[in-house]
Amino acid sequence: MLSIKNLKAEIEGKKILNGLNLEVKAGEVHAIMGPNGAGKSTLSAVLAGRADYEVTEGTVDFDGKDLLELSPEDRAREGVFLAFQYPIEIPGVSNTNFLKTAINEKRKYQGLEPMEATDFLKMMREKMELVEMDKSLTSRSLNEGFSGGEKKRNEIFQMAMLEPKLGILDETDSGLDIDALRLVSEGVNKLRNKERSFIVITHYQRLLDYIVPDFVHVLYKGRIVKSGDASLAKELEEKGYDWIKQEVEANS
Amino acid sequence: MLVENIKAEFNLYKNQADKSDFFLKREQAFAEFEKVGFPTTKNEEWKYTNLKNITNQSFQSTCESTIETELMLSHAFLKDLTANKLVFVNGSFRPELSTIIETDESIVISTLAKAKTAHSELFNKHFGKYAPIEGQGLNAMNTALLSDGAFIYVPNNKTITNPVIIVNIADSTDVNVLCQPRNLIIVEKSASLTLVETFYAVGNNPSFTNVVNEVYANENAHIEHYKIQNQEGESYHNNFTQIFQEANTNINHVTLTLSGTLVRNNLHFFMNGQNCNSLLYGLYMPHGTELVDNHTRVDHAFPNCHSDELYKGIMMDKSVAVFNGKIMVHLDAQKTNAYQRNQNILLSNEATVNTKPQLEIFADDVKCTHGATIGQLDEEPMFYLRSRGIPSDVARKMLLNAFADDIAERIKIPELVELLEQEIEKKI
Repeated sequence: MLSIKNLKAEIEGKKILNGLNLEVKAGEVHAIMGPNGAGKSTLSAVLAGRADYEVTEGTVDFDGKDLLELSPEDRAREGVFLAFQYPIEIPGVSNTNFLKTAINEKRKYQGLEPMEATDFLKMMREKMELVEMDKSLTSRSLNEGFSGGEKKRNEIFQMAMLEPKLGILDETDSGLDIDALRLVSEGVNKLRNKERSFIVITHYQRLLDYIVPDFVHVLYKGRIVKSGDASLAKELEEKGYDWIKQEVEANS
Repeated sequence: MLVENIKAEFNLYKNQADKSDFFLKREQAFAEFEKVGFPTTKNEEWKYTNLKNITNQSFQSTCESTIETELMLSHAFLKDLTANKLVFVNGSFRPELSTIIETDESIVISTLAKAKTAHSELFNKHFGKYAPIEGQGLNAMNTALLSDGAFIYVPNNKTITNPVIIVNIADSTDVNVLCQPRNLIIVEKSASLTLVETFYAVGNNPSFTNVVNEVYANENAHIEHYKIQNQEGESYHNNFTQIFQEANTNINHVTLTLSGTLVRNNLHFFMNGQNCNSLLYGLYMPHGTELVDNHTRVDHAFPNCHSDELYKGIMMDKSVAVFNGKIMVHLDAQKTNAYQRNQNILLSNEATVNTKPQLEIFADDVKCTHGATIGQLDEEPMFYLRSRGIPSDVARKMLLNAFADDIAERIKIPELVELLEQEIEKKI
């Protein structure tokens, strides 16, 4: 589904990604871990299409499409969803109107008619229940006055509504207490299926107790330097990142 | 040249007029106009707004109007709203186009021309008492040669159930037209009024509308006052609104400038008692080479009053906006709460905003803030919306609507809010 080859990217002349390779197949959950400054957030930004990052080399193939050639909105409509680390507040734009617009724009892209209002409301209700989202939040402005946990849950709710092929969670665990973390994770787990893939970017192993990944990769200095299964995350939790750094230095 | 037109017109009027008190007032105003003339950019208050395109042309007052007027009315804003409507074309009252549905006979919804005799006591008590003439050439010109206007009187404890809409149309089909509406609004103790002023223009010649409003709010009165300017073509507009508030009054004023070659709004509030609440909101969205200038002044003369002001601008093409908000907190006005903000979004590299929030505080126990911003549409919200599949042009519209909604939601007539939203949609 997603094939990243030799990806190099920089921001303001500073090289962040230095030849990253990653293969994600349908239905797989990949965790990307790594120390601060390794390039984790840059990876999610580049995949979502943030303009301030420049890709200097490499390719990203998403279901046969050159992802890097697509605008951010077209990436979304092709089925990429980024759950932001810091979802912003947009006063004056209601959650409901925002979601209706997003869904209908996606349908337009797919050559479908806009969704009937009753179908849309029914879908809202179902997905709200699925991710245990408080009803009162949807009538408010987008993320306005939401707590940290509510903002993250709203990201997962949006993901549930937009039904992407690939969900990218960018440090979704940051700033969440254990209860909020569990709620968000349960939401994500309910969205896992045979077709939908996830890239879970996190600094801590804690999140992976709830969202158990198929693969764990360690990102360091803009490359994936080690891959393994869920047990690698446990090892990192116990031993920290230093031994990885040493291994990389020894091999270079 | 406009100044010659004015002089000729006044001489004509002078020869016909009876020598009443009203005439003397107008003669005095004319003398002031002759003395000070039109403001120029040398005057600090007019630094960014040059009137030479008005003063270098000829304009004439006329009662004539064409079929265009009725066409305009047929698709005018709020035509379907249940309301009392007073229609003025080129400054003259048009009873056949107006409707008064208010049934309470103690309430007066009429014209200045009629009120001068029918309600002479009220007229003499209030007319010309609030809008200053000294040093104000345009106010003096209005007073000297006013055409007509609305006279509204709401007695103690009364409420006008439906809004009153004053529709002003400048019809310049045949000539360069000068309209000088003059409205006098009196809302007595514990009475309330919802007032909408709308301005349109038809015809291909230039028009100049020069309005003076005097609004008197007696103790505990409540006034909702909305002004909508949508004068297309070569339309010039100046207006001066003085709101005089007694104690415990509550005034909500919204100024919407949708279109006009040059629009200058002067909005002044004077709080003449304690516990007054004054709300001033404005939205302007000039395009092309339009200029919109909002000058406001709030005088906190007594303690324990509150004022809140927010003006927002969406600037397109080569348009120019001026904002100058002055809050005066007088020596005795302790415990004043006064807030003022001006926010602008530039959608073009060639648009200009000159903004000057001003506070002058002579009391020592007050809470006052002011500030202004000029910027582009933020990148972060744009990216957020796009990352959910919303294309950039739709995302931009959503964000601009959200920006404008902050003002639209201050309007308490749902039909008007809806129409405004459609109008905003069209503009952006």
